[in-house]
Amino acid sequence: MLSAVVWIPVLGALGLVLASQVTKVSTQQSRWVALAIASITFLISLILMAGFNSEITGMQKEEFIPWIKAIGLNYQLGVDGLSLPLVVLNQFLVWIAIFSSDTQIKRPTLYYVLLLLLSAGTAGAFLAQNVLLFFLFFEVELIPLYLLIAIWGGPRREYAATKFLIYTALSGVLMLAAFLGLAFLTGMVDFSYATLRHQTPLPVATQTVLLVLLLVALGIKTPLVPFHTWLPDAHVEASTPVSVLLAGILLKLGTYGILRFGLGLFPQAWANLAPFLAGWAVVSVLYGSFMAIAQKDMKKMVAYSSVGHMGFLLLAMAAATPLSLVAAIAQMIAHGLISALLFLLVGVVYKKTGTRDLDVLTGLLAPERGLPIIGSLMVLGVMASAGIPGMVGFVAEFLIFHSCFSIFPIQTLLCMVGTGLTAVYFLLLVNRAFFGRLTAKLSNLPRVLLSEKLPAVLVAALVVFLGWQPGWMLRWTETTTRELITSSPSLDRIIPAAIRQENGLVPQAKLSQR
Amino acid sequence: MTLFATETLWWIPCYGLVGVLFTLPWAIGSVKNTGPRPAAYFNFLMTALALIHALILWQTSWTHPAYNIEFVWFEVGNWHQDIILRASIESLGGVFLITLLSFLAQLFALGYMEKDWGLARFFALMGFFEGAMCGLALSDSLLASYGLLELLTLSTYLLVGFWYAQPLVVTAARDAFWTKRLGDMLLLMGVVALSTLAPSLNFTDLTAWAHTDGKLLSPTAITLLGFALIAGPIGKCAQFPLNLWLDEAMEGPNPASIMRNSVVVACGAYVLIRVQPILALSPVVMGTLVFIGALTAIGASWVALAQVDLKRAFCHSTSAYLGLVFIAVGLQQSEVALLLLFAHTLAKALLFMSIGSVIFTTSTQDLRELGGLGSRMPATTTAYLVAASGLVAGLPLGSFWALGAFGQILATAPFLLIILLSVNGLTAFNLGRVFGLVFMGPAQPKTRRAPEVPWTMAVPLVALTILTLLVPLFILQGHFTSLTLSLPVLLLVVSGVLGGWFGYQGTRVPLVLPKTQLREQIQDFLAHDLYVERFYRATIVTWISWGAKITAWLDRHIVDGAVNLVGLGSLVSGQFLRYANSGQSQTYVLTIVVGVIVVGVVELIITLH
Repeated sequence: MLSAVVWIPVLGALGLVLASQVTKVSTQQSRWVALAIASITFLISLILMAGFNSEITGMQKEEFIPWIKAIGLNYQLGVDGLSLPLVVLNQFLVWIAIFSSDTQIKRPTLYYVLLLLLSAGTAGAFLAQNVLLFFLFFEVELIPLYLLIAIWGGPRREYAATKFLIYTALSGVLMLAAFLGLAFLTGMVDFSYATLRHQTPLPVATQTVLLVLLLVALGIKTPLVPFHTWLPDAHVEASTPVSVLLAGILLKLGTYGILRFGLGLFPQAWANLAPFLAGWAVVSVLYGSFMAIAQKDMKKMVAYSSVGHMGFLLLAMAAATPLSLVAAIAQMIAHGLISALLFLLVGVVYKKTGTRDLDVLTGLLAPERGLPIIGSLMVLGVMASAGIPGMVGFVAEFLIFHSCFSIFPIQTLLCMVGTGLTAVYFLLLVNRAFFGRLTAKLSNLPRVLLSEKLPAVLVAALVVFLGWQPGWMLRWTETTTRELITSSPSLDRIIPAAIRQENGLVPQAKLSQR
Repeated sequence: MTLFATETLWWIPCYGLVGVLFTLPWAIGSVKNTGPRPAAYFNFLMTALALIHALILWQTSWTHPAYNIEFVWFEVGNWHQDIILRASIESLGGVFLITLLSFLAQLFALGYMEKDWGLARFFALMGFFEGAMCGLALSDSLLASYGLLELLTLSTYLLVGFWYAQPLVVTAARDAFWTKRLGDMLLLMGVVALSTLAPSLNFTDLTAWAHTDGKLLSPTAITLLGFALIAGPIGKCAQFPLNLWLDEAMEGPNPASIMRNSVVVACGAYVLIRVQPILALSPVVMGTLVFIGALTAIGASWVALAQVDLKRAFCHSTSAYLGLVFIAVGLQQSEVALLLLFAHTLAKALLFMSIGSVIFTTSTQDLRELGGLGSRMPATTTAYLVAASGLVAGLPLGSFWALGAFGQILATAPFLLIILLSVNGLTAFNLGRVFGLVFMGPAQPKTRRAPEVPWTMAVPLVALTILTLLVPLFILQGHFTSLTLSLPVLLLVVSGVLGGWFGYQGTRVPLVLPKTQLREQIQDFLAHDLYVERFYRATIVTWISWGAKITAWLDRHIVDGAVNLVGLGSLVSGQFLRYANSGQSQTYVLTIVVGVIVVGVVELIITLH
């Protein structure tokens, strides 16, 4: 079942390649094949969700095939409350990305093959239960993404793609170093996640070194300030579907990795570093938000907002309570959907007007000659991103703030300032581009086809639905995060350490009650 | 009957939302051949149903005890958030008032917005507005109330931005959202803090907590918490320093202004009253409430006098009146605060409806272009006079009783009593001034041929006039107040009558004041809203724009610069890997795939050894 999610896209991609060698495959045909495969894997992920038991701890639907025993690399897949929502999100967004791809795209076969391989790599990384396997999938996903930016990107695609490749390759090397270090120092010859988690803990100093390596590695991928500069460039040059996948799901590989491997494998070091991580989260949030305010390019603005929103995630993970980790997963889903929505809409605007420059765009809400529906969806998207209740972003952010406040009060409050700043830059975007009067230059825009609106409408519907019924997003994870925390008693130390920081916010009487 | 009531309470906020959903096909333009009317009528019908439903429930509540209905919104493990709706006389009365005003404003809008192409969208937004406010009146949980306040912020943004093609509207909508959002953000900080400190976010539990464990909190913590909690209502009720959005919001359509100046601001005050037990833990917070309320009441009353825009002249008086409510809450006089809100709501709604009629027939809202409408628009003039009398203590209409009750309480606090008297006098002066300028005096080019409004607008106007006249009966029957013939009450009447008289006379016999520089400066100071906007520019706007500039500089020169420093930049921008342009892509794909695999294998081999 899990292998199907990974290998059906690979087989589909292989089929497409072979078919294109034998006969001439038309653009339409390869598009339909890719869509069919994405639909199948999305359905499988939904079935997986329906069959998932959120009451039991540990991995479900595990698969194990011995591979290279000598180095402890085995083909080991499993799904738990952390990975399930992300796998479903991945399959959904891949479908959306394929659907929203340009129907007249050049070199269609290669394009769809790469998208399918990307889907397989990401799903594999979320499902991998062997750290080396995770690393392999993590690297595999990199190649198609690099090519997708470098071949179908904007004018500066080579620069952006190479920058992306160098950063992410560096990220991979550091991650591998951390994993190898862990195995060597513990004397393990098995890279299975479960085995590594339950070995005798390393000295805290060693743990800290390895954790910092891992944090830098995955901080590049996430991205966290100051390792973020590849992201805006990559987004600006990438085509819309690639941006959707990059922001929607690929960034989550970084945060997922930090959560599962950073927190899961080095709990003691994590507990020590937690206050520092919370501070780092604040820097990321404020830095990303201020950068977004300074942007004139819509896509860059959305890209920097991702940097800010990833900071909330780091805060939630630093607090490391069962609730805050549920909140982290919720924020991954929320940000995945919302940023996908925003990139889809910016993509339509760019396609119709030929620009993303906020100094040029104005009055796009105009009912007859403008883009009124895209504009209305944009208002919804930016409100969701700014954390207005009734949409999915609010639930995730409220959960994060609620669960982190008692542990890192000051940092949490500073991060909340970030939600206010989100309203600042996104309102600048909407008011500049969509309000006002259409200029002569922008009038007579081509009509937006139904097929161009549909992906955004679907994602927007999900954003609103999960905002009112967040249970569908939250119910999978709690058992897993509780197990993750309670099996690492050292994580409890974060809380008392933090209370000392509170400087009298909670009186002594309250403390003794805990 | 009771079963019906308990099971259908949650329908009330949903009527508006059903209307919104139904309107979508018209609003997005997929139904065009019918015009927007059907959608508007459907929304109107939904509001009518909500009104009838609310009336039935309210009547039931007079004979039955209050009750709650609870829904679990979401749960994680054993931690859950509930949405609680409380059905009591007060909450259902609020719902009735909201749906009634929404009904009348929508009826009014059928005429006012008749020729607007966005009619369907407007009615959908009104439905959304109404739904959110009904939810707020019923909500018994701080989290839900916070959420609904945010939804009100959103719908204010959309309603103010309704005519989004006009340049002034663009900034007005943006500023309204930012200002309210700032308040909401601070309120959210308070909500988050309370969610970890108190056992739950239900108002009942919060009140209980405030009387027990809440007292154990350190004074600093409780004061900070209180400041966070009052920030939201300060923004929502347009109190200093978050008051300017209401002035700018007057760029929006008038039927929405009717709602905004009456019930929407009251919603903010209502939340303030609900959290009052927590605020009461900190004397500093209560003092701040009184201070902010007094400052806004006096400042806004003066600013109103210097406005030449018909709508702006009265929106500042809304801020002033809500300032009085803030003072009442700060003095722990919640009942008087509610009474003030109630008396203000209907009268202010009527006032905005009557000036809406004036704007509709004359197509201008500049006081200098109006005049002589009294004989031409009798129904509108009557409505204006009733609304004016209902707003100030003079004739025994609504505000006479509310302000009188407040005056009796303030008898021991002479300073605050003076503020109350000045607000009353200045408001009366302003109402008299506008009356003289708009309805009396010689007719002007734009008013010479002004007819009375058509029936769709006259019916709600007259209906609301009658309701405003009935407010004192309701207040007296409910025994909400008992006035004695005391000095504060007398002073209030005198200040109201004199203020109105001088305001009116001032327009007939222009005061011969020497045109000095000082007078000009004072006028400018008031006309520019006490330069609050400059204050914003000098503080928060500057901070944020400098924050953005500094970060952008850092990002460009330090963070990205470091990348270039280590040589990655030249590697990246150089002639490295030039295959993306070539047609022979497959070969290159193969090359890089092979390359990565080789690197991977080498890494694994190193691992093995």
